[in-house]
Amino acid sequence: MNETYFKQLEETLYHEQLANGLKVYILPKKGFSKTFVTFTTKYGSIDSKFIPLGKEEAITVPDGIAHFLEHKMFEKEDGDVFQKFSEKGASANAFTSFTRTAYLFSSTNHVLENTKTLLDFVQQPYFTEQTVEKEKGIIAQEITMYDDQPDWRLYFGTIENMYKEHPVKIDIAGTVESINKITAEHLYECYNTFYHPSNMVLFVVGAVNPQEMMAFIKEDQASKTFEEPQDIKRFFPIEQQAVHISERVLQMDVQKPKVIFGVKSPNTTISGNEMLQFELAMQVAIELVFGRTSAFYQDVYETGLIDESYSADFSMEQGYGFTMIGSDSSNPEKLVESIKGAILNHSKEWSFTEEDLKRVTRKKIGFFLRALNSIEYIANQFTRYSFNEMNLFDVVPALENLSMDQVKEAFETLKNEEAHTSFTIIPLEKNNG
Amino acid sequence: MFQQFTLAQGVKLFVRPTEQFKTINISFKWKEELTEQNAAIRSVLANILQYSNEEYPTNSAFRKKLDDLYGSVLYVDSSKKGNKHILSLNAETVNDAFLSNEKVVDEIFSVLQTVIFKPLLEEGKFVESIVKREKEQVIERIQSMYDDKTRYAQQRLLENIRPNHPASISANGTVPTVQAITNDQLVQMYKQLLHEDELSIYVVGDVDVNEMKQKFEKHFQFTGRQTIPTSEVSVPLAANDKEFLHEVQDMKQGKLHIAYRTPVTFFSEEFPVMQMTNGILGGFAHSKLFMNVREKESMAYYASSSFASLYGLIFVLAGIDANLKDKAVKLIDEQLKAMQDGEITDLEINQTKSMLTNQLKEAMDSARAQIEIYDQYKELNEDFTVEDWVGKWSDISKEQIGQMASKIEKEFVYFLSGKESEENE
Repeated sequence: MNETYFKQLEETLYHEQLANGLKVYILPKKGFSKTFVTFTTKYGSIDSKFIPLGKEEAITVPDGIAHFLEHKMFEKEDGDVFQKFSEKGASANAFTSFTRTAYLFSSTNHVLENTKTLLDFVQQPYFTEQTVEKEKGIIAQEITMYDDQPDWRLYFGTIENMYKEHPVKIDIAGTVESINKITAEHLYECYNTFYHPSNMVLFVVGAVNPQEMMAFIKEDQASKTFEEPQDIKRFFPIEQQAVHISERVLQMDVQKPKVIFGVKSPNTTISGNEMLQFELAMQVAIELVFGRTSAFYQDVYETGLIDESYSADFSMEQGYGFTMIGSDSSNPEKLVESIKGAILNHSKEWSFTEEDLKRVTRKKIGFFLRALNSIEYIANQFTRYSFNEMNLFDVVPALENLSMDQVKEAFETLKNEEAHTSFTIIPLEKNNG
Repeated sequence: MFQQFTLAQGVKLFVRPTEQFKTINISFKWKEELTEQNAAIRSVLANILQYSNEEYPTNSAFRKKLDDLYGSVLYVDSSKKGNKHILSLNAETVNDAFLSNEKVVDEIFSVLQTVIFKPLLEEGKFVESIVKREKEQVIERIQSMYDDKTRYAQQRLLENIRPNHPASISANGTVPTVQAITNDQLVQMYKQLLHEDELSIYVVGDVDVNEMKQKFEKHFQFTGRQTIPTSEVSVPLAANDKEFLHEVQDMKQGKLHIAYRTPVTFFSEEFPVMQMTNGILGGFAHSKLFMNVREKESMAYYASSSFASLYGLIFVLAGIDANLKDKAVKLIDEQLKAMQDGEITDLEINQTKSMLTNQLKEAMDSARAQIEIYDQYKELNEDFTVEDWVGKWSDISKEQIGQMASKIEKEFVYFLSGKESEENE
């Protein structure tokens, strides 16, 4: 077992890659009563075209299948896994994102037994046509629930505007139509390909004895048999630099218009340290230009163009990335104009000082240290970083070393007007009906 | 859990020294009677105090200062508990130990002092342009609830079962009450915080208890004040003449919200039994509602219950296909009926005990939750510990739970759905 000590953070991370390829990380936290364990596969909603394990030809599976599979993992021949976790006082959950599917539990007692339950239920699939059919009603309700959430529609509407081909434009849960096409056979094919231990990470954080936990996991994994690890071939369409649709408006039953201005990132084929630096540089640039201390923010807040719902973020994974700036706004068009104006002005003249940069990086460091109080944050983010070949605990040094040139250069990627889009939700026209 | 000091009459300091966190959390909580008008004034006041002050007269200057202090978080917010409105000033700052040669903790104390004692006033009044804009912000916050269908449906249910009652009064007030607020009322309310409201101050983090006590005694000299203990909220005895309401919006899903009255509140001897009873009915993923409404019938993505203990109310929430409303109501009724008939297994009891225990212990891993839980439970017992509370669940029997379930009485069904389902009725 390897041990890495992060002096500045006073944290020790224990880690090892097991014989079957599984990467295991353990981070003990002083003073915590609970233990949080996540078991994550590098498999999400965008992985819809791939060569199944042991086959030669690529297949395309129905949209929403990664999420469907996540739901179905909880049902076994002898009943529901939640029941088992509840007996041992563990609250279990799972989530599917564009690029990951994570299974997790937290408990303050019976941690080894609960870890065993987690490993077993994720590593022993059980799908039948009957249980697959049954799930369709539940997921259809989940999809409809999201359909009624304006903020979700706004977020996805913006991504749909940006991407023409890439599957990131498809809702993670799919559609009621696409999930109806899913069969047990599909689920097994996806499961066998993507749930191989070599494509997964197990992260344990909180009240835990690292030696005991690692031995326990190793023994469990050694007792199970898996196919030889194989490289997974995934296929993604070539995506243009320009956005697919530059402007769209949707009517919903809302009180006030909502808008997101989005910029499609041109820089999405990077990973590792390069990705870490670019991502942080983008976040710092956005904070400088669009954060709460910016002249832009002061102006749009005081003129009533934004309210408390305002946000400005950058996010990326391999293959896609975007900046989103948005708010509920009584005048969404004017807000979009102001955002474009700020991008134009700052790319013409970068007026920030080293002092500004220092202030913003300090803020980010503070945010990061606060986030380390949350063991959920550590587990989820660490896994995300590791799938992108980055290390979460490099964030503070990387921020400290970020140069103004890097920040400026990152900001330049927002300039291309062809990569700009906006999505607006406006209230229905009332007809007293 | 917390060490306690009385700084002045009605002003208490609670300190919890712990190495668990990399930050220090500080919270001031001012309590006052919950009325629509109080809630409205205090929500706008919270925004004004958070926006700027005498030392940092613009929001940008104020935010820059906080960013410089390693992004220290500072916010003022509005909430409610039972029949009390709570205005809280919260701060979280990085523990100096994790920074090379910097001292931010002392500075955050000085910022807090500024926020409380040096608001931005012009001739004894708040700046009119700020008042106007922050009233607008609070109004928009209230209106945005309409866009969140679950929150909206829940608020409509509460307005129907407990009109003009703390259970239905929003911590932000209403649009007309916010609109009617004057600058003088805000100044008056600000003075009330300084001199009249019950005040509890919390500190959680790697701190020295005596040093904290001295800091507060020196820098935060509050005057003594009379306080009234939080008490049970009266529940109207007369039942509603109406028991069902269906409202329509342009939406796809059906939101089913059912309210039940119970004779038990947070202050009752039987409170732990009701926690168990609610847990078995719908508190968790092993509960009857989840297993039967979601898993067995595939009718819903969520189906759960919650116990609003300060109001003696239980709510069942389910997101369903709007055409299946009657079936869902029947199925939910059956789950409660089963419990009343004693259909409760040892497994369900054990699972629920384990989950309640885990939930409470887990909450202790967040400094904010430590403050929130203690702030409520100290009303029962200032020596509150997690272990003692867990002990209260251990001996609860099946019979007690069955009896408790029999005291749960369905009061009102609220249903929010799209237009199509209305036409089908």
